[in-house]
Amino acid sequence: MTPLQVGLLIFVVTVAVLATGLPIAFGMGAVALAFMLVFDGWNSVHFVPETVFAGLSDFTLVSLPMFIIMGAAVASSRAGSDLYEALARWLHKVPGSLVISNIGACALFSALTGSSPATCAAIGKMGIPEMRKRGYDADLATGAIAAGGTLGILIPPSITMILYGIASETSIGRLFIAGIIPGLMLTGLFMAWAMFLSWKRGTRLIDEDRVYTLAEKLELLPKLLPFMAVIAGVVYALYGGIATPSEAAGVGAMLCLLMVVVIYRVWRPMDLWAILRDGLRESGMLMMIIGTSILFGYMMSSLQVTQSVAQAIGEMQVNRWLVMAAINLLLLVAGMFLPPAAIILMTTPILMPVINAAGFDPIWFGVVLTINMELGLITPPVGLNLFVINGITPDVRLPTILKGALPFMGCMVVAILILCVFPGLATWLLTQLMG
Amino acid sequence: MSSEARPLPAWVVAVQALSRAFGVFSAGLILLSVGVICQMVFVRAVLGQSSIWQTEFVTFALVAATFLGAPYILLTRGHVAVDVLPLMLATPARRWLHMAGHLVMLAFCLAFLYAAVPWWVEAWTSGQTTPSIWRARMWIATLALPAGLALLCLQCVAQLWLVHRQIELPFGLSPDDRL
Repeated sequence: MTPLQVGLLIFVVTVAVLATGLPIAFGMGAVALAFMLVFDGWNSVHFVPETVFAGLSDFTLVSLPMFIIMGAAVASSRAGSDLYEALARWLHKVPGSLVISNIGACALFSALTGSSPATCAAIGKMGIPEMRKRGYDADLATGAIAAGGTLGILIPPSITMILYGIASETSIGRLFIAGIIPGLMLTGLFMAWAMFLSWKRGTRLIDEDRVYTLAEKLELLPKLLPFMAVIAGVVYALYGGIATPSEAAGVGAMLCLLMVVVIYRVWRPMDLWAILRDGLRESGMLMMIIGTSILFGYMMSSLQVTQSVAQAIGEMQVNRWLVMAAINLLLLVAGMFLPPAAIILMTTPILMPVINAAGFDPIWFGVVLTINMELGLITPPVGLNLFVINGITPDVRLPTILKGALPFMGCMVVAILILCVFPGLATWLLTQLMG
Repeated sequence: MSSEARPLPAWVVAVQALSRAFGVFSAGLILLSVGVICQMVFVRAVLGQSSIWQTEFVTFALVAATFLGAPYILLTRGHVAVDVLPLMLATPARRWLHMAGHLVMLAFCLAFLYAAVPWWVEAWTSGQTTPSIWRARMWIATLALPAGLALLCLQCVAQLWLVHRQIELPFGLSPDDRL
């Protein structure tokens, strides 16, 4: 069998194994081990503990559970609701103000948590009922939160970018900086669509004439500013080279834990256990996927599959933008069925040689890939955010949520196209700050 | 299905209790790691001293939390999976699919455990340490792999048994959960 045929067989077997619904981490490990045993013999089983342990014993990976604990701490408090309420008061007079406030709150909250479902749940719980109560259609209200929640994996700190950084061996700090302008751009596109649709539908707030005093507008800021300061501090420490991502995330996690205790009175043992439990569940799940994906990558490389695929694509002599379009299509389809972590960890070792050979900047590609992963979070059949929203608002049917989210998916495709035409949007800030 | 009312056998209760205990311990390791990182930053940035043990401690603690916490994450269905096909099937077919998938998982975990035990024994008997100044003993750092994998295998067997005996629903999906 040629390495390309082996690669095709690996693809088919992986799809079949994962389709059984077993945990992805163990599915990837089982496929990797099976091919190692078939092609390299029984003794290759002894590579498994050493390969997985060596792969996971990397200080860079420490940033993952730290950022997750930071996000779990913030998500356990009322910070999301306060953020939404504060923005709603400031933007009350703007057309589509409530949707815009929700999208803005999603963007800011995602910076705090780095997690899309957590953002959807935290902002949506209060935002969606409020929007519907005050005159917005269900599709716009739910679609905006489903899409706004996806900003969590683009705006730094982002768990998805950490995973890409690890898999592609690119700087996590640089990826974070590269995500800032595209993140703001996508937030702007979402807001513009929400404003346009509210204007077109003639949506009027029931309490449109209400006037918020300056004191009311400032009331919630003392609670929120410390969290914003932590995020600003983490990003500053990263681009200033003051701390590694793991150190910055560790200090950020401790500060967020202390702040939810002091500011939001989340101090009961069961509350704190809930933060740690959620942190353990997410980080343990991700770390296990990373561990077995390292084994998967080792198997692919030892069977010459990675090298052969990269070489075959290189020899095709096709336009590099066609290659980029094909990669994005592949990622989009994969995103319909798999979570971002599995896609990134499985495909990056194969895609990186292709990206480099085609002359694309790996940091820029990290941003494009992240927006593509965002799309996967709101596309059926397994769009995670759609189900989170459906859980919050069981009376709104899934097709209605999907209908509302569809134009926001269009915004994401537009964002990818803009980034292809103007790659500087991802790299300019990086060059200015880090050279 | 009156799954909730049926009493669980003692061995399943014991495995689940142990998984929860490992989960609490793993969560504690993560919290401890947060504290150690802050201490390391303080030592380096404020006291101007170099860190000796913190980097390795945190790295190994989080690997340990991953493996020791894995049975608890499996118990609480925290390991992410692709559930498109299960959602398309009726409960009896889901049960067979669950069995097939979890037998694949069990086979992998058993093979991993089979290799991890002699690997850990070698680290213990040879007195291996890390090359750093701290010289961390590797048998402590690697113990979490065989320990966590052994419990993970038991937890996987427990879940297979519960679904096979129709005490639990496959994939935790109710018959109404459809795509």
